[in-house]
This record gives sequence, C-alpha cells and structure tokens, in this order.
Amino acid sequence: MESLDPRVNRLNLSLTELTSKAPLDQLGTYEVFSQLREGKPYFHVGPVHAPNCEMAFLFAKEQFSRRQTCAGLFVVETRNIQVSIFTEGEDTVYNYIDDQSEIKNGNVQSFELFHLKKRGKQHEHIGTIEAPDAEVALSLVKSEFINDKPVYNIWIVKTSDIEFNQEEDKIIWDTLPDKKFRDAIAYKAADKIKEFKERQS
Amino acid sequence: MINTEALKELIYKMADDQLILGHRNSEWTGFGPLLEEDIAFSSMAQDKVGQSHALYQILNDLGEREPDTVAFMRNANQFHNSQLVELPNGEYDFSLVRHFLFDTAEAIRFQMLTESSYTPLAQLANKIKGELRYHTMHADVWIKQLGSATEESVSRLQGSLDRLIPYAMGIFEPSPFEVQLIDDNVFAGEGTLKQHWQEAISLVTSKTSLNLPDLSLVEPIYGGRIGKHTEHLQPLLDEMSEVFKIDPTADW
Repeated sequence: MESLDPRVNRLNLSLTELTSKAPLDQLGTYEVFSQLREGKPYFHVGPVHAPNCEMAFLFAKEQFSRRQTCAGLFVVETRNIQVSIFTEGEDTVYNYIDDQSEIKNGNVQSFELFHLKKRGKQHEHIGTIEAPDAEVALSLVKSEFINDKPVYNIWIVKTSDIEFNQEEDKIIWDTLPDKKFRDAIAYKAADKIKEFKERQS
Repeated sequence: MINTEALKELIYKMADDQLILGHRNSEWTGFGPLLEEDIAFSSMAQDKVGQSHALYQILNDLGEREPDTVAFMRNANQFHNSQLVELPNGEYDFSLVRHFLFDTAEAIRFQMLTESSYTPLAQLANKIKGELRYHTMHADVWIKQLGSATEESVSRLQGSLDRLIPYAMGIFEPSPFEVQLIDDNVFAGEGTLKQHWQEAISLVTSKTSLNLPDLSLVEPIYGGRIGKHTEHLQPLLDEMSEVFKIDPTADW
C-alpha cells in the first residue's frame, strides 16, 4: 500500500505478510576536514552523503568552502574513524590510554590523529604517527599529551583511508578575490535608497 | 604586430561560448538533481559569465563596444558561440555531458593561451586556472561515477554523448585566421586544441562503460562561429537581455 508520505513508503511496511527489513535507500557518509589557510591545522567541519570518496570531495567543496576561505580539504569515510571515549573537566582521554611497552609484530603504517580540545567544538588535526595499529599509535604519543591541556576525545584514522586533494589541484582554492559581487553585502544600496526616499517625500 | 581582426575573432567566440553556456547552466539553479549539484552548476555558471565579462573587456580595449552592450544588444546572428552551448538544457545527463565536453575543451584552450604572445589573454588564462581546474575535476568525477553506475545512468549518458559529439566538434570549427593566429604565436589553433581535447575526453570515458564514437566518422555541426544558430539561441538572448533592455542606461 502506497502512503502519500515518502518516509512511510521507505519503511517498506507490509500489512499482510512478514518481510525482511530493507536497508535505507541512502548513500554512506564521509567526514570532511578543511584548512582555512595554508600552514594552519585542518579542522573537522561536518559530514556529507556520497557514493564514494571522489564524489564526497566534490560535495564537500560545495558545502564547506563557499562561505569561507579554504586552502585544503580532505574526506574520510565515517566508519573509518576510530573514536575514543569522552571525558570532561580536567580529565584527559590520555588517562585511559594503555602504556604499551611491548612492540607488536606487524607492518607499521601511518595514522592521523585528531583532538577535541573543547566539548562542542570541532576535532583538530594534530599530526601523523607511524604504528602497527591505532591502539599502539595512541600509546606512543600518550607521554606527549598526558601533562598537556585536557583532550576530551580522540579520533584516529589510517592515512590510507583519507582522500586528500592532489597537490596539482590546489589551484582550485585560488578563487578570485574580486568575486564580492556574489555576496549581498557587496551591493551598496543604502545611499541610493536614501536618495530615492528623499526624492519621494 | 598581432592581427587585430584575428584576435577579435578568437576572443568573440570564446566570450560568446562562456556567456551562453553560463546562462544555460544558471537555468539549473533551483532544479539541480541534488542540492550540491544545484549549487555547483550555479557557481560554475557565475564563473563562466565572469570569464565572458573579462573577455568582453579585452574586446572593449581593442575598440569594441562596452561589455554590457556587446552581451545584451546583439541578435542571434551576431553571436559566435558554437551551437553546442545554446542547446536547451534537457535532462541532467544532457547538461552534464555538455559540461564535460565543453569545459574540457575550454580548459585546454586557456591552458594553451597561458603561452600566448597577446599578454591580456595570457594573463587572463593564468588568473582563471583554478576555476577551470575545478570545472573539469567536477565534470570528470561525475562522468566517471554515472558512466559506470547503473544501466540507466550509463544508457542516459551514452545517449547524450552520441547526440552531443557532433555539436561538440563544432567548437573546433576552422577559423579563417587559424594560420595567422599560429604564426603570431597568439593561439596554437583549433586543430591542435581538438587533438588535445580528443585525448583528454577519451582518457575519462575509457574509465567508464561509455563508448566514445569514432570521431573521424562524425560529421561536425558547424556554423555557430559565423552566426548560424539553432532556433534556441534567440529566445535565450531575449530572456537574458529582458531586464537590461527596459533601461539600457540604468546604473546598477
């Protein structure tokens, strides 16, 4: 039975027989990180729905680089972000990271580390760590941050899971400074309106 | 000494292509297949109109009339755009394929012009490099995605590709000044451009399920460069210039 509400139809409800629950007809999500200026850290800016990394990059550019300057952008599939516990007050997440002295066997790979320094703010890219896995990576950097300002949450991502913008494509961020005509604020109409009103009265 | 007539012919057709396609792309505003694509087409439309303005400004410096007058006060038979850019938007697959075919050519043309002996063109080409790179990146990613996604998306793109290729080849309509422009080192010519374009588009389509027709067997649709247009151009111009014509002397 068709409902007039598409949200109800998407639930695939059957009134007569048992049916298997259908997955949502929706694209997966990718998290977007952007850099305001060359040399500044990347910050998490939000998610986009997309069928793959390349498409996510395009959507991210449209959503997150139009209203502010942007010098770089990267995207990572949401499920590839590993998230730590959250802490509050003076308690840092690094208090809960194991000290790992034993070196595990296995190939070393690189991970990107993100810190949440204030609840409600965005995660900030801190740096890259070489380690066999994410747990070891965090234990390797624990000593650097444990006596620092508290970190309330950590994201850690395999570098290979990230879609960066290519070096040769960086020119896409050189948008022309003389595009102010795109913003309403660039149209100085106050004087003309005043003059018009005076003429009317 | 650069031949001014040759220069004007080159710049007029580039400017008119950008203006007309800019207008067509802007017609997607509010109708895009998804929000980001709506914004992307609108934003690229603004880039194109901006680029056409810069080119009309160069023409103005060469003795032609004001950019606004040139853009809004000519009739269809005075426009030098290729017929490709004036065709109605159709469905999204049609607009996307046109965007891919045209913008690839335009990006290569400006790339070639970065080495032009005519400094204003070389400067403009360098200035808008970033915009053009984004336009082709956008087109390539979408063509790769929809060109290998579902049966419907592939067959729609293939249909539009088959229909648009003869028009796209009209971009490279031989210019009466081809030899002069090459000799003056202004522009390496439509022939060279077409060759680079063919390589660039087949590089992208080869990563999809799309079949690029054998271009040597395709009859190009010429005429746009000498003012011969389809019935679709004049209505577009009428709409585009409607507000301007109410009061051409108004100060904005």
